[in-house]
Amino acid sequence: MKAVLGLLAGRLAISTLVLAGVSVLIFGIARVIPGNPARIALGPNATKEQVAKLAAELHLDEPIWIQYGHFVRDLSRGELGISLYTNRPVTTDIAQFLPATLELVLIAGILMIGIGLPLGMVAAKYRGGFVDNLVRIVSLLGVSAPSFVWAVILMLLFAFYLPLFPIAGRIDTEFAIEHVTGFLLVDSLIAGEFRAFGNAMWHLFLPAFALSLSGIGQAARLTRANMVETYEKPYIEMARSYGFPAWRIARRYAFKPSLIPSLTIIGLDFAAMLGNAFLVEAIFAWPGLSRYGVAVILRKDLNAIVGTVLIISAAFLIANLIVDLLIALLNPRIRYARSAR
Amino acid sequence: MLKLTRLVAVVAALAALSTAALAERVLRVDEVAVGELDPAKASDYADSMLMFNVYDTLVLPRQGGPGHVPHLAESWEQSGNDYTFKLRSDVKFQSGNSMTAEDVVFSMERMQTIGQGLSFLFVDVESIEALDAHTVRISLSRPYAPFLSSLVRLPIVDKALVMANLGEGEGEMKDWGQAYLSANGGGSGAYMVESHNPQDETVMVKNPGYFLPISDMAPDRVRLRYGLEAATVRTLVAQGEHDITSQWLPPEVKRALVSDGNQILTEGGTGSFYFKLNSQKAPFDDVHCRLAVANAYDYTSGLKLVEIAEGVAEGTPSTGAISVGMFGANPADQTLSRDLDGAKAHLAQCMHDPADFSIEISWIAEVPVEERFALLLQANLAEIGIKSSITKIPWAVFSSNVESAENTPHVSQLFVTAVTGDPDTLLWGQYHSTAAGTWQSAEHLNDSEVDSLLEAGRTATTDEGREEAYAALNQRLQAIAASVYVFDRQTVFVGRPGINVPALSDPEMAFGLDSMGFAFRLIEVE
Repeated sequence: MKAVLGLLAGRLAISTLVLAGVSVLIFGIARVIPGNPARIALGPNATKEQVAKLAAELHLDEPIWIQYGHFVRDLSRGELGISLYTNRPVTTDIAQFLPATLELVLIAGILMIGIGLPLGMVAAKYRGGFVDNLVRIVSLLGVSAPSFVWAVILMLLFAFYLPLFPIAGRIDTEFAIEHVTGFLLVDSLIAGEFRAFGNAMWHLFLPAFALSLSGIGQAARLTRANMVETYEKPYIEMARSYGFPAWRIARRYAFKPSLIPSLTIIGLDFAAMLGNAFLVEAIFAWPGLSRYGVAVILRKDLNAIVGTVLIISAAFLIANLIVDLLIALLNPRIRYARSAR
Repeated sequence: MLKLTRLVAVVAALAALSTAALAERVLRVDEVAVGELDPAKASDYADSMLMFNVYDTLVLPRQGGPGHVPHLAESWEQSGNDYTFKLRSDVKFQSGNSMTAEDVVFSMERMQTIGQGLSFLFVDVESIEALDAHTVRISLSRPYAPFLSSLVRLPIVDKALVMANLGEGEGEMKDWGQAYLSANGGGSGAYMVESHNPQDETVMVKNPGYFLPISDMAPDRVRLRYGLEAATVRTLVAQGEHDITSQWLPPEVKRALVSDGNQILTEGGTGSFYFKLNSQKAPFDDVHCRLAVANAYDYTSGLKLVEIAEGVAEGTPSTGAISVGMFGANPADQTLSRDLDGAKAHLAQCMHDPADFSIEISWIAEVPVEERFALLLQANLAEIGIKSSITKIPWAVFSSNVESAENTPHVSQLFVTAVTGDPDTLLWGQYHSTAAGTWQSAEHLNDSEVDSLLEAGRTATTDEGREEAYAALNQRLQAIAASVYVFDRQTVFVGRPGINVPALSDPEMAFGLDSMGFAFRLIEVE
């Protein structure tokens, strides 16, 4: 346990440094994107004086290091400035839009693990056979087509031709759920509104499935490859010779060691979905942070760009941290190696 | 038997409940994100839809013709640069507060101080004064003939409500209620804001205390959704989950929806689509080269590119620099057409040899239909021996590049709209030399005659005087081919059957002002 806590402390320190580096980088990059943010925000009819006034309010007329100083000062107070896109504090926007994206990504992640890993296990168990080939085709389809293509196909199949699922928004308007956490699944349970929970889940399914398909394919392929390799190990042969049932060998002896390399990729996929959710959010009119992030980049909304990128970076770091901890817990050699040092 | 009776009773009760729920008339429309609720910051189409429904203005555009009619103001008088308005005494804000002259003064001062949105329309307002509870006087610093039309962009805000909800800021007025009004309504309009998520949707409900009668057929609830993708809208309409599409759908999707039996709704007379020719860059520093392009362009084929159905396109034939229906416009039947011989003759007179130059035709990355126009123009120019290249430019890059004539492409494609319906707001920003360097003025035009005619249009005291000034301006802009006047804009929406929108389907009921056709109180939902 001590080794795991040490690992956690080390990773947290590094993550803080990485976040600081990201903030400097994105702060600089956002300012070299062409376009005058004040002019874009105020429109073509605004006078030069109006544009200059807004630019001064945003400190855009000051050197970049002074601007960064303002940013750090605001950040220390928990502020990220005003978004020129929504005319609201960026923190308000993030608080409103982040839960929608997190909820979508979490459900997509659950689908990725819940479908991808078993598919990989089945494929490895029946390697070379019909099931293996079927899983291979499904996996390749998932990996090769981007999630927005799946989003459109799923919408066509299950909303246009077979009107089974809703395709816009997070919940039907008839449900007035009080926002406590911003996660509608949680808020509806807090309110004891089980119909609302079901409705939110119904709205979530298609976008989450579209988003998870690539991850499902990747998880299935990786799990299969790792398990096939593990099946060749002598201790599996020994388990077979003892006459252990095939599923016990698969679950207990082949799956666990095969999970470690898959976990790293799954963790990265999970974090990447936060950024990649943009097109799925756009197609399903999902009011999330990824869609917001792209919109603010197109409008050169500096404060919002920096705020959004920092949040997505933090999510990446947290996902990596969790994966590292899980791997340390699953693999005793990593724990012991750290203790020995 | 008893069980069966109970079952029937339960089913009947459920059916009754469902009918009650269905009895509410809901209108679902969409627009691009993001919807800005604060009327002092409203500038684009979605903002205007919110503004015209949540707030009221002193005057309204006359339906079916030019001019303005009283709205919050009962009457008005003009004396020189002073305008005196007599206000209605029966108007209440959605909060229950009565509307008075103080609210008008506050709204103007708020607009001017915040300095965003369409506040540029009021830079000439020198003073505003409440003479009594229902009389207000506005004095201008100089003659500005389109002032009355500008007032359709001055929504009257509930002063008492705003003062009770001031946010953080400096001075007595702090933030002028910006934080509050960006999330809540504060007007007297026919619809009240029920919920607002600037990236998702705004839900509005009918204002029972509205000072004008509203039809029972008008929607009880309106859901204005933001940023829906074309595929999503197509599916939602097919599912019966959406009523009126935005104007931004690709023509193919509109065509598909129309072929499914949906109706076409249009809004016109508010602006035009232009090829803007950079007059500061060779070869377009020579008027003959510009005229060669204007004559070579195939206007008829261009309209076919945006045709939605037989006889209905996202534009109507252009007659010149001013959209049909505005002061100074040419008659509707005097449409521009291609003249290849004329193009060649002008090219022969141009001081630049076509063999020595290639022009850059740009299109805005966010408006894919412009690529088709770029290809058409390229083909048209090739016929008279002008070489060209096509460049895709993201909006943010374009709006930055256009600040200098050197970085502005030879040809820029843009839709420009008169925000008040008056030609001044269509033309001044494009062609006055002091306005050069914004996306509207990619021509970087510097023509003293154009400048003086634009100024004459602003200062003429009679409609006849304005008509004369703008007619002369129209002729001048055509003579120097400042732009290619591709087509008059006709905004096309697709509506579900059973939705009746007179202002978007009957020219006699049209307002001639962008987004005013979406005054929800005038829409009927069957």
